[in-house]
Amino acid sequence: MLKIENLVYSVGDFKLGPVSFSIEKGDYLALFGPSGAGKSLLLELIAGLRFPETGTLCIDSKEYVNIGAQHRPVGMLFQDYALFPHLNVFENIAYSLKLKKQSKDVIEVRVKELAEYFSIGNLLTREIEGLSGGEKQRVALARAIAYDPLVLLLDEPLSALDDDLREEAIETLAMLKRTGQTIIHVTHNRNEVGALATKNLYMLKGLVL
Amino acid sequence: MKVRNNINYTHSLFILLGGVILLFLIAPLAGMFLSVKAPELFATLEDREVSESIFRTLAISALATGVAAIFALPLSYILARKRFPLKGLLEAIIDLPVMIPHSAAGIALLGFISRDSALGSLASSFGLNLVGSNTAIAMAMAFVSLPFLINSAKDGFVAVPARLEQAAETLGASKFRVFTQISMPLAKRSIVSGLLLMFARGMSEFGAVVIVAYHPMTTPVLIFDRFNSFGLSYARPVAVIFVSVTLILFILLRIYQKRRC
Repeated sequence: MLKIENLVYSVGDFKLGPVSFSIEKGDYLALFGPSGAGKSLLLELIAGLRFPETGTLCIDSKEYVNIGAQHRPVGMLFQDYALFPHLNVFENIAYSLKLKKQSKDVIEVRVKELAEYFSIGNLLTREIEGLSGGEKQRVALARAIAYDPLVLLLDEPLSALDDDLREEAIETLAMLKRTGQTIIHVTHNRNEVGALATKNLYMLKGLVL
Repeated sequence: MKVRNNINYTHSLFILLGGVILLFLIAPLAGMFLSVKAPELFATLEDREVSESIFRTLAISALATGVAAIFALPLSYILARKRFPLKGLLEAIIDLPVMIPHSAAGIALLGFISRDSALGSLASSFGLNLVGSNTAIAMAMAFVSLPFLINSAKDGFVAVPARLEQAAETLGASKFRVFTQISMPLAKRSIVSGLLLMFARGMSEFGAVVIVAYHPMTTPVLIFDRFNSFGLSYARPVAVIFVSVTLILFILLRIYQKRRC
């Protein structure tokens, strides 16, 4: 489903790779390792926010290594959720659908479906600023999967949450996994994805071990 | 208790020092307004040369700001987001018009648009004489006021987290859409501020404008012309009217800006 071979990328003194691994549809890959291991960098390479020096990256047998983020079937949940503060919750979730020129009715139905799924139906007209960490995470997840990406990347999705919200957030991720969504979850804490992961990879100093 | 007294003394001193500066800013303008007599003011208000020059000044400055923004905002964005060789030099060049005497800016611009220059001769081939035209006024206004827009917009773009732009890209936005739908709206306050500053600086410009176009007269040139030809009492009502118009305009724009932002 996702196949990476000999991906190499350098930034300053740091060298990532060569990295090779593959995952199948519906897999939940936990990519863990200490800070500075290159986990987030690898996610950005998969998302198309950076381009590797060498290597290949195929999703569903199609080569994406030189294709930008705009055209990749990859959704991403950022560590700080990166919600657009000038748009309300509805507009944030609908953003990718509007870009794909979906009709108003289709957008409305899809956003409401996602809102119900993530229990944020009552937040749709709210501004981003007033949301709690847990609410932000659910809005960001709804936004990231609104256009049905083939792969969903989660960059430390639980690190910005308090302990009491973390359990709830893990349950949200488990719910997402049950839908068959292919997920790569980056974390420095192996325990937080223990029950969720179908596959584990450990990264250290830019290499997948 | 001692510390509290100390703070109070410090703040009192600051208020006193700040008050002197405020007085320095307000007193000349207040004096000018108070020294104009009502009959002179009404006579000047009915003077078509004055009203036409005010309209011309505001219109050209607004147009110069609008046209310049099409070129300046992308430059501000690049300066905010990219690192490249000689970037510091480029930023220093952008700030140059603020530092050089505006009469020198006018001389430089005159050489640039005169019939001997490439641009001037190109305009001549279309039957246009840039020197002494509204276009020359717009160019002089833009030349001296562009740094205000570029720098303000740049600061606004720098403050937009790059993460938000990346998030938009992963959701399918092109770089251009990221700029128009994410970066511009989030930097809106700084961009509007820059536009207002550029507009204000442009319309009040005298030194560069007077060299490239004495006629048609902008209001700052008209004020100088009347002062030079007839003296202070003849120039003062024009200055009072121009300052009043600009003050009203800026108060209205600020109110509008506060409502929108």
